[in-house]
Amino acid sequence: MAGSIRGSGIAEAAAVLPSRALTRGRRWAVLRQAARTRLGPLGAVVTLVAIAVALLAPAISPYDPLKQDLGNTLARPDRAHLMGTDNVGRDVLSRMIWGTRVSLMAGFGSVALAVIAGGMLGLVAGYAGGRTDGFVMRLMDAVLSFPPLVLALALGAVLGAGLGGVVIALGVVYTPTFARLMRGQVLTITAREYVEAARALGAPGWRIAWQHVLPNASAPIVIQASLSVAFAILAEASLSFLGLGVQPPGASWGSMINAGRGYLQQAPWIVFWPGTALFVTVVGLNFVGDAVRDALDPRLRT
Amino acid sequence: MRAATPHGKVHRRDFLYLCALASGTLAPGMSVRPVFAQGAPRKGGTLRVGFYLEASTMDPHFSGSKVDRQIYHNIYEPLLTLDVKLGIKPGLAESWQQPEPKILVLKLRQGVKFQDGTDFNAEAVRFNFNRMKTEPKSVRKGEVASIESVDAVDAYTVRINLRRPDAALLATLTDRAGMMVSPKVAQERGAELERNAKGAGTGPFEFVEWVKDDHLLIKRNDGYWNKQGGPYLDRVRYRPIPDDTVKLQSLQAGEIDVIDYVQPRDVAAVRADKNIVMLDVPSLAAFAYQLNLTRPPFNVKALRQAVAYALDLDQIIKGVWLNVGTPANGPVPPTSWAYDRTIPYIKRDLAKAKAKLAEGGKPSGFAFTITTANIPINVQEAEVIQAQLAEAGMTAKIKLVDAATQLSDGNSKSFDMISYQWSGRPDPDGNIYQFFKTTPGTSLNWSGISNSQIDALLDKTREVSNQAERKKLYSDLTKILQDELPMVYIVHPIEPKAFSPKVQGYEPIPDGMMRFKDVWLKA
Amino acid sequence: MGRLVLRRLLATIPVLLLVTAGVFALIHLTPGDPVDVMMAESVDDSVKATLRRQLGLDQPIYVQYGVWMAKLLRGDLGRSIRNGEPVIENVGRRIRPSLQLAALAMAISLVVATPLGILSAARRNTSVDRFGTTFALFGICMPNFLLALLLIFCFGVKLRWLPISGYMDPLEEGLQGLRSLVLPALTLGLALAAVVTRTLRSSMLDALSEDYVRTARAKGFSESQVIRGHVLKNALIPVVTVLGLQLGTLIGGAVITEYVFALPGVGRLVVDAVFARDYPLVQGVVLLIAIGFILSNLAVDFLYGWIDPRIRYR
Repeated sequence: MAGSIRGSGIAEAAAVLPSRALTRGRRWAVLRQAARTRLGPLGAVVTLVAIAVALLAPAISPYDPLKQDLGNTLARPDRAHLMGTDNVGRDVLSRMIWGTRVSLMAGFGSVALAVIAGGMLGLVAGYAGGRTDGFVMRLMDAVLSFPPLVLALALGAVLGAGLGGVVIALGVVYTPTFARLMRGQVLTITAREYVEAARALGAPGWRIAWQHVLPNASAPIVIQASLSVAFAILAEASLSFLGLGVQPPGASWGSMINAGRGYLQQAPWIVFWPGTALFVTVVGLNFVGDAVRDALDPRLRT
Repeated sequence: MRAATPHGKVHRRDFLYLCALASGTLAPGMSVRPVFAQGAPRKGGTLRVGFYLEASTMDPHFSGSKVDRQIYHNIYEPLLTLDVKLGIKPGLAESWQQPEPKILVLKLRQGVKFQDGTDFNAEAVRFNFNRMKTEPKSVRKGEVASIESVDAVDAYTVRINLRRPDAALLATLTDRAGMMVSPKVAQERGAELERNAKGAGTGPFEFVEWVKDDHLLIKRNDGYWNKQGGPYLDRVRYRPIPDDTVKLQSLQAGEIDVIDYVQPRDVAAVRADKNIVMLDVPSLAAFAYQLNLTRPPFNVKALRQAVAYALDLDQIIKGVWLNVGTPANGPVPPTSWAYDRTIPYIKRDLAKAKAKLAEGGKPSGFAFTITTANIPINVQEAEVIQAQLAEAGMTAKIKLVDAATQLSDGNSKSFDMISYQWSGRPDPDGNIYQFFKTTPGTSLNWSGISNSQIDALLDKTREVSNQAERKKLYSDLTKILQDELPMVYIVHPIEPKAFSPKVQGYEPIPDGMMRFKDVWLKA
Repeated sequence: MGRLVLRRLLATIPVLLLVTAGVFALIHLTPGDPVDVMMAESVDDSVKATLRRQLGLDQPIYVQYGVWMAKLLRGDLGRSIRNGEPVIENVGRRIRPSLQLAALAMAISLVVATPLGILSAARRNTSVDRFGTTFALFGICMPNFLLALLLIFCFGVKLRWLPISGYMDPLEEGLQGLRSLVLPALTLGLALAAVVTRTLRSSMLDALSEDYVRTARAKGFSESQVIRGHVLKNALIPVVTVLGLQLGTLIGGAVITEYVFALPGVGRLVVDAVFARDYPLVQGVVLLIAIGFILSNLAVDFLYGWIDPRIRYR
C-alpha cells in the first residue's frame, strides 16, 4: 500500500517458498517462463530504460539541471523546454533525467542494504537456531513494529538530512523483511533431504549455504527486492515531503513533486512529469516482480 | 455563503484603491485606512481563521512563540498599543510620563474589569510585573530586565522604577510584556492557565476552549470596557493548518474566512481571484542569514563582504519573493520610524566580490554550507543564492533542517551561514540589540559578534530617549553592520493577508498581529 | 489455547523492551532538545537551564532511561513537555480521528475491492479482470500524497463538494463530520482497495481451483452459488489478514494524509513530537503504536489459526 513506506504486507504474506529445489536449470526455466508473460518483459524494459537514463544522464540531459533562469520561471512546455520550467527557471526534463539517478539510488541502495543486512541476519538466525535465532528475530520484530516514518524521520535527523541518511534509514526499515525471508528459506531448505545428505557427507556449513541455500533463496528474494525497490522509490518521495532526502538544489522525483505542489494550478507540469516517471518506474518494477513470482508458482498468478 | 456579485464589484474598487496605496507607498509611516467600511456593522457570526501553527501556551508571560501573540492581542490587552503608523497609543494605561529617565509613571484606565469580574487596577499591574520577573518559567524576564521594581502609587497610578534608562520599554509594553493577566486567575489556576485562559484577560474577546491541534475558540466579551465600535463577532475560531497550500485552498473553498499569510507565489493568483480579498501589509519582519564569526571561513571579514557583494538582492526579491517585499539595508524595516532611506542596500558587484576574496586569502573561492529551514521559500531562496555565489567563485552546499535542529545549530554556533527569520518588534531595539550585543553563552547573537563600537552604540540607543537622536544612532549602527556583516539581510517581507469578502472592518497594523475587535461579518 | 495466548503475549515483552530502548536512543540522538524549541525566541540562558533541570534533561542518558522505564513499569507514560498533559491523554484525544479515518478507509476499500476482486477472479482474463488488476496496480503504485493532491484539487477546490481540511467528529456532528473524513479516507482507502483486490483475487483463484469446487460444479450448482457458498468464505481469510496487518499501519502511519488534510490524528502527533523533540511524547506514542501493531498481528494470527485448523499449532 502506497500509504505506508514499508509497503503492503502482501509481499510477505505471499512470499513463495519454492516447492522444488531450484537447480540452475530450473532457475533458467523460471526466467524463461517469466519472459513469456506479457507484462514481465515490459516491466523489465521499463526498469532497464530507467537505469539507462540514470547512467546516461550527463549525456542525454538537454540542460544543466541546476541552471536557473529567473526570467523564465514556470514556463509552459515548448520546443526549448519540452517539459516546461520550474519555479526558478530550471528545465523540468533535465531535472527529471537527473532525478532518475537519485530515485533509483534511493530505491536500489536501500534495498541492497536491506538484502545484505537482512540476508546475513536471516542466515545467522536460521543456522544458529536457539537463542541467537530468538534474539535476532525479536530484534527484527522490534524494528517492524516501529512506525516506519518515525524511524526514517529520526534516523534522518540523526544522520543528517541528505540522500545517504535516507538510504540508510530505508535500509533499516526494510531489513526485517529480508531477514525473515532468508531465515524461512534457510529453515525449509536445510530440512530437505539433499541437504541432510550433504551434511552427512561432511560438507561444511558455509559450503551448504553457498551451494544450496543461496541459489534457492534467490528467487523469493528477487521478487521481494523488486517490490521493495518500488516501495523505496515511493518512500523517498514521501520522505522528501518531510524534508529528508536529497538536498536542494539536487533533484529527485519526490522533491520535484513536493516543490511543485504549491504551483499545481499555475504550472502543473512540474508535478505531472516527475509524478508520471515515478509511477511508470514503480509499475515496471512491480511487473518484473510479479512475472517472476508467477513463473515460480503459476497458481498464484495475479 | 459568498457575497453576491454587486457587493463584489464594490469590493474590487475599494480593494484596487487600497492596492494602489499599498504598492505605491512602501515608505515608513504608510497609512492604511480600514478596508471595506461599508454599511453598518452587524453583530454576530463566527470568524474562522487559519494559522500555520498551533499555539503553544495561553499564558503571555510564558510564551516564546509568535503564533501565540495573534490570539493574545484579542483576549488580553497590553498597557500600551500601536497605531497604524506604529506610534505608541494608550492601551490599558491612559497616559504616561517620565519625570526622570529612570522612572515611568502610568495612569491606568478606570472602570476596566477582567473577564472574571475582578477589577483592573495598579495592584494588578504590580502583580503582573512581579510575575514576569520572578516566575521560573517566565520568558519575559529579558524584556523587563531594566525594571527594578513597580509601585502602586494609588489605585490607578503605577510607578515603574528602572535600573537604567530604557528607551525601548514603551514599545515593549505594547506586546506580551505589557499584557495584563487577572491576578485572581493566575493565582488560582497556576499552571492550568497555560491551557485555559477563561476570564484571564481584559480584551474584547474571552477564551472559551482549546482543543489541541484542532481549534481554539474565543467569544465576544460583552463586558468589554471600550464601548466605541466592536466587538461585533460572536466568536472567533482559530484553526492550525500547517500546510500553506491547503490553507489557501481552504480559504478558496470557503471553509475559513481569514488566513494570516499568502505565499509570494500565490499572491498573483489570489489577487486575480474575485472571491478573495487580499491586503498587502508591510511587516516588521526581516529575513537574513547569520554568519558564524567564531570559526573559519567567516571569521575573516573580507570573506563575509565577498558574500554580500556576490548576492544580488534585486534578483532574489524579484525571482523568489516576486516583489512581495523590499530589499533590506539592515535590521530596521521600512515601516519603522528609525528606517534610514538614505542608506542603500548592498548592491551586487562581482568585481568587488572577487577582490574581497583575494583580500581574504581565498582568491579562487572557498566552500561552505548554508543551513536553512525546510520551507519552500527558504529552499528556493537558498538555491538562488547558491547560484549567485557560484558566479563569484564560492561553492555553497545547502543543508535543510527542521526547526529544532536549526535552533540547536544556531545556539551551539555549529553553522557557517544559517537562515534567520525574525518576526520583528515595533521598537528597533527589539530587532537589533540581542543579535549584535556581545553576549557570552547561548543567546540570539548566533554570529558571535563582539565589537566594542557596536556595543557602545547599542547601549546608547537604550539610554537616549529623543527619537531623532536614536534614529541617528540606528543609522550609524546600520552602516557599521553593513561593514562588519554578522548578518546578511535580504528582505523585509510584506505579509499579505487574505479574507473572504464577508469580512468587514479589518484594520491592519504593521506589526502583523490580527486584531478582530472591529471586524464584523456580512450576512 | 489460553496458555498459547499467554506464551505469545510474554514473547512480545522482549520486543517491546527493544522498541523502548531504540526509540529512546534515537530521539535523544537527534540534534536539539525540547527546551530549545519551546524557547526559540528567548535569550534567557538561565531560564532554559532551569527548565532543563526541572525536566531532568541535564542527567546522563542512562539515568533518564532508567527514570522513564521506572515510571513506565508503574503504568505512567509521563507528560508531554510541550503541553504538560499526560501522554495518555494526548494520545486519547488523537486516537479517535485516526480510528475513524482507518475504519472509513477500510470500509471504502472493502466496498470497492470486494466486487472487483471477486469478479476479477470469476471472470478471469476478461476485460473485467484486466480492469481490476490495472486498478490494483495503479492503487499500489500511486504515491499517496499525489493522490491526496489530486483529490483535493478536484473535489475540494474545483467542485467544492467536500471539505478539504479540518476534522469534525462524525459521532458528534453526524453528516458534516463524515464529509470531513471522506477525502482523506478515499486517499487511504483506494490504496488499500488496491491491495485487497489483489489479495482477494489471488485467494479466490486459489480457492476456485480446489477439488471441492469442481465437485460442486459437477453437482450442478451455478457459478454464483458455488462462489457464495464456499469459495468466498475461504477466500476472505487472507483478506482479513491483510486488513488486520494494515490496521496498525493506518493508525500510526497515515502521517502525510493527516498533514495534508489537517486532521488531528496520531500520526501527526508523533511526527510533530519528533520535530519538537518532545521526548516523552515520542517515546510514549511510539511504544503505544508498537503495542498496537503487535497486538493486531497477534489477533490476526490467532484468527487465522482459529479459522484454519491446519495452521493452528505452529
